[in-house]
Amino acid sequence: MIRPHHGLATGPIRIQWRNWLVVFRVRPICIATMLVLALLALAATSLMLGSYPTSVKDIWALFAPTIESPDHTQAILIQLRIPRILLAALCGAMLGLAGAAMQSFTRNGLADPGLIGVREGSIFAVLVTILFMPAIPLFFRPIIGMAGGLAVAGLAIVIARSVAHLRFVLVGIGLSWLLASAIAMLLVTQDSQTAQTALVWIAGSLSSASWDFFPVAVFFTFISALALFATARSADIALLGEKAAIGLGINLKLTAMVQLIAAAVLSATCVATVGGIGFIGLIAPHLARLSTGQSRQFSVLFNSAIWGALLLLCADTIGREAFLPLQLPAGVVLALIGVPVLLGLLWKQRHQL
Amino acid sequence: MSVDATSAAKPAPGFPALLLALIAFASICAGLYLMLGPRTLTFQTILGTITSYDSLNFDHRVLADIRLPRLLAAIIAGANLGLSGLLLQGLLRNPLAEPHILGLNAGASLAVVLTLALPTASLAVLAPLRPFAAALGGFVVFSITVLFSSAGRSGLTLLKVTFCGIAFSALASSLATAILLLDEETLQKIRIWLVGDLAGVTLHMLYTSLVPSALALGLALFIAPRLNVLELGDHVATGLGISIRQIRFLTILAAALCAGTAVSLVGPIGFVGLIVPNLVRYLNGNNYRQAIPLTLLAGAILLILADLAARMVLLPHEIPTGIATALVGVPVFIMIVIRTSR
Repeated sequence: MIRPHHGLATGPIRIQWRNWLVVFRVRPICIATMLVLALLALAATSLMLGSYPTSVKDIWALFAPTIESPDHTQAILIQLRIPRILLAALCGAMLGLAGAAMQSFTRNGLADPGLIGVREGSIFAVLVTILFMPAIPLFFRPIIGMAGGLAVAGLAIVIARSVAHLRFVLVGIGLSWLLASAIAMLLVTQDSQTAQTALVWIAGSLSSASWDFFPVAVFFTFISALALFATARSADIALLGEKAAIGLGINLKLTAMVQLIAAAVLSATCVATVGGIGFIGLIAPHLARLSTGQSRQFSVLFNSAIWGALLLLCADTIGREAFLPLQLPAGVVLALIGVPVLLGLLWKQRHQL
Repeated sequence: MSVDATSAAKPAPGFPALLLALIAFASICAGLYLMLGPRTLTFQTILGTITSYDSLNFDHRVLADIRLPRLLAAIIAGANLGLSGLLLQGLLRNPLAEPHILGLNAGASLAVVLTLALPTASLAVLAPLRPFAAALGGFVVFSITVLFSSAGRSGLTLLKVTFCGIAFSALASSLATAILLLDEETLQKIRIWLVGDLAGVTLHMLYTSLVPSALALGLALFIAPRLNVLELGDHVATGLGISIRQIRFLTILAAALCAGTAVSLVGPIGFVGLIVPNLVRYLNGNNYRQAIPLTLLAGAILLILADLAARMVLLPHEIPTGIATALVGVPVFIMIVIRTSR
């Protein structure tokens, strides 16, 4: 049954069914819709740009194949650009979700899978698998990466003894440096060809995107996103404080555990498919909160995913386009975009830190 | 912070003994460094190289052309990195301060990459100026970091300066990466240098690094008594007639010169500047005037040992020296984080 609240057109719309209540706020939904439209527009633009420019007609021809458009245009679009754009959007969304989950359970706006060592842990685990156990199929790489990422997060928690303390972030930074040197040590012992490929992968590049990665990426994203959206309400209540949350019947440990594991899985899947991409997990949740004015976990998760997709697609398109015929890895472009935003966040918190 | 203000300027009784012990240990390490390697040399060979150098003798050539320049590079870079860390820790009154963490190394690397990416004709002219260019890069990045992180009511805190340092390092190093990826020729020239490595240092590079090193050391000796007073707090120091602004500027300048010299010589090597001053403070207390010679020696020793380990551990592979120092330095970093935040 639908019951308009206050009778105003812009007021929240409440839908109640038995004891379930869903509240729709019009403005945030409009903003979220606009973000999705912006993402689609960016994807369409990105599809046409490149060292082989295509036109709207070529893209239309994908849906209604005719003899007029040459075959290689379609091959470029289907085998190179579309998977690359979809993978950029998907990985961006994964990182946005992971960042939102991480910031929620550490209650720290500076937590990011890349900053606290989870990403390096995943990279290390995946690299060891690729170099020493190449027989293990692609599907298991995110799981192995996840184990590595979780091990690092667990170590940081044990050493810092509290996730909410700022010490946790500093210890995580230290661990990420340690793992970065361990990764570099692994690479030194390889031949230069392997090392070169691995370096591009660690910098986070979408240049080798193909349809092969999709089943794995979609599968793990779906499971983690489901878990995160299901615990979003508990995460909101957890912010009220430990006692209040327990009084309201929230299992705090379970909620934090689900968020941590989901964030590690998302981050590891991203590492296993496109490599180490930083900053999105840090920035996207803040952009989500700023753009919609909503700090409810459900809305933050959704908008953070969209912002993440926008950011990575944008960075990859710039990296692909700006210095033709050369390409910059999306990770490098993102650092250039991300650092000013990180500094802005620091500036906003300058009285508290 | 772990700084004990009352012991600031009190001379520790064991200083001369400690200095002598460090000199002796440094000589032993240097001797070992010259002897060990893929080709083990004897002490007689070293003596022979010094007294009667024979350019046709393979062992003599190995010593004079490969190991000696590398040993000198380790000494100069290690001493500079240690001194840079000491100055930064004095400036920020914070045992976690370190040129690598605070963005000086990244700024210096970016400056070196920029000078290398210039047209080849100007390279020869620029070579003696490279340490200064690197120092300028480190100085600019770190000054911005300090200015940015001292904004706000809470002033300059450990967390803010660390985050700003990391942020500006990330910016500087991604700019450097972007330049290198777009300019493959430059990348080939400095691929190994970028992770911090002592291999490939020439005698010519050592000569050019002497002037900025001497300048930095002179500045540091000039600042040291004032840093001792600064330990008593900004207000006391101002009351005793010290210009805080001037001392900060000079300290940053000297730290940037040290880091720039080290980076232009051996690449961005981290954590020497973190470990060494903390070790010296543990051994000899907080007197900066005495800490300077001790830091120089201990920095040189640490980098000699780190490079020896980097050359020997994974034979026949050689790991970059920066990785060896990080593997030792990060646990120290985490230990200090836990101790200071309790």
